[in-house]
Amino acid sequence: MGSGVSDTAFEIAASVLVPGRAGGAALVLDDSLSFWGGFDCARGEIIDIHHPQHGQRVGGSILLIPASRGSAGTPGGIAETLRNGSGPHALVLAERDVNIGIGALVANRLYGMEVPVVAIRLDEMMRIRSGDRIEIDPRGTISVRR
Amino acid sequence: MSLKLSQLDQDRLAGKLGKAMQFAMQTVVTAAHIDQVDTLIDISFAHIDACFYNGRAHLDFVNYLLDNDARLAVPAWTNNGMIALNDLSIRDPQASREMAEARQLMQAYVKLGCNPVWTCAPYQLPERPQFGDHIVGSESNAVSFYNSVVGARTNKYGDYLDVCAALTGRVPFSKLHRDEARAAQLVFDVGRLPPQILQNDLFYHLLGHIIGRRSGHRVPAIVGLATSCSEDDLKAISAAGSSSGSVPLFHAVGLTPEAENLEAASQGGSLEQVIELQVADLRQARFELGMNSDRPLAGIALGTPHFSVTEFERLVTLLAGRSIHPELICYLTTSRHILQQVRQRGWIESLSRSGVKIITDTCTYFSPAVNGLQGKIMTNSAKWAYYAPGMLPVEAVIGSLAECVESAVNGEVVLDQWGVV
Repeated sequence: MGSGVSDTAFEIAASVLVPGRAGGAALVLDDSLSFWGGFDCARGEIIDIHHPQHGQRVGGSILLIPASRGSAGTPGGIAETLRNGSGPHALVLAERDVNIGIGALVANRLYGMEVPVVAIRLDEMMRIRSGDRIEIDPRGTISVRR
Repeated sequence: MSLKLSQLDQDRLAGKLGKAMQFAMQTVVTAAHIDQVDTLIDISFAHIDACFYNGRAHLDFVNYLLDNDARLAVPAWTNNGMIALNDLSIRDPQASREMAEARQLMQAYVKLGCNPVWTCAPYQLPERPQFGDHIVGSESNAVSFYNSVVGARTNKYGDYLDVCAALTGRVPFSKLHRDEARAAQLVFDVGRLPPQILQNDLFYHLLGHIIGRRSGHRVPAIVGLATSCSEDDLKAISAAGSSSGSVPLFHAVGLTPEAENLEAASQGGSLEQVIELQVADLRQARFELGMNSDRPLAGIALGTPHFSVTEFERLVTLLAGRSIHPELICYLTTSRHILQQVRQRGWIESLSRSGVKIITDTCTYFSPAVNGLQGKIMTNSAKWAYYAPGMLPVEAVIGSLAECVESAVNGEVVLDQWGVV
């Protein structure tokens, strides 16, 4: 536990889908998203008008998202947003989502990046709030500070 | 869970066949790890979507493969691209860096050795996969058609994994490749609807839309369809069901190969729910796919998924040599293969004379907009009506092919008696 009354620190053991090390501020999405059609790769922005966080940019965050939705284009959307620097530093999912995993894997390989993708349970994801400080290590340990 | 690998898999993974094949194998192995399966299986065919431009990363990916000795292990056919390669005026590669790269991307997949069929309806071409074949599909309507109507087996594969599977000939033995994932879990009963409705092509688009909305992750079976239900109708269900929802497999009892009867479709298992469709459900589906506003009709979009020979035949019959109203545009998308077949019958000349603009290799429902596609557009496709208003400056009105033709000729939306249901 931290020193102040409002400080909280805890760890969650995640399953590693794509290994890597990353840190940053959490951005928790309330709904799944298609990264083709629902997402602007150039700006890293949610453009799906039905999404509760429509207009939100994800760049530089540790992005927590239940899963991707729909399209075969999601891996390309992930790889493209990582390529052009508008994407998150890591993705934390509540499902073992192949499309997001493969998108990050391809970007890591092509561009020498180290963007991890890990999976936790939905109830674990709900312990994390947007703005929390997150560190992820290559074994999938998520350290959370608030 | 440790993954069982063949000697060839291991050689690829060790880099003995070059860096591209190593990368491809690593990608397939990562997919197996994410899916938590311990077995890979051979595939015989792939229909790939990564040729459809989605940013510079797509081009970097295929160029990496080409530069590092990539070779396809199985026949791989291309989905629609962004560019109509034999009519560059449709989406001009000189208009932007993105469109130039979109064309380079398509050319790169030809160089990789893919069969450049450029179609979202590859199952309309000869030599399609057979019942029980394990394949890779990515385009959502084709995944649904291959699984449901052909009885081949594929999951809905995303970009990159589709290509890596075609390079290695291997996929994780998961989900719809396995018997148990293919059992029907809920039933849509259309047997109480007035029989004439089942003779109307629009019905199958609306049915697919409803099934997509209500199935969730369950495999649906449809009972009560007439034997007159055609492959075009099953294509409509495939496309609409994977637009409004995610239905990679459905069973049409008495029509599709794993559904001789309901018990076969459900593999003897229990069914969670039976939904009996009413005319009101169809009315609601039609409403969801676009209201007919007071704005003037600006155009017609046909061929999503790509038009078949039999659809061309119906169109020629319905149009009967009449001309499209001069203030409207009328686009029709199809594959090069089907175009060739139809040209031999003399139909292309007649349709061109009528003012129908035929496009191959791509589609009209996504951005950037094909010239003139703005305002109120009528379509015979639930998929077009579902997606286009989100990506283009259009509103959609859905109608049967006959309604689309009468509207095209008259220059305003014409709905027949059934249409107002």
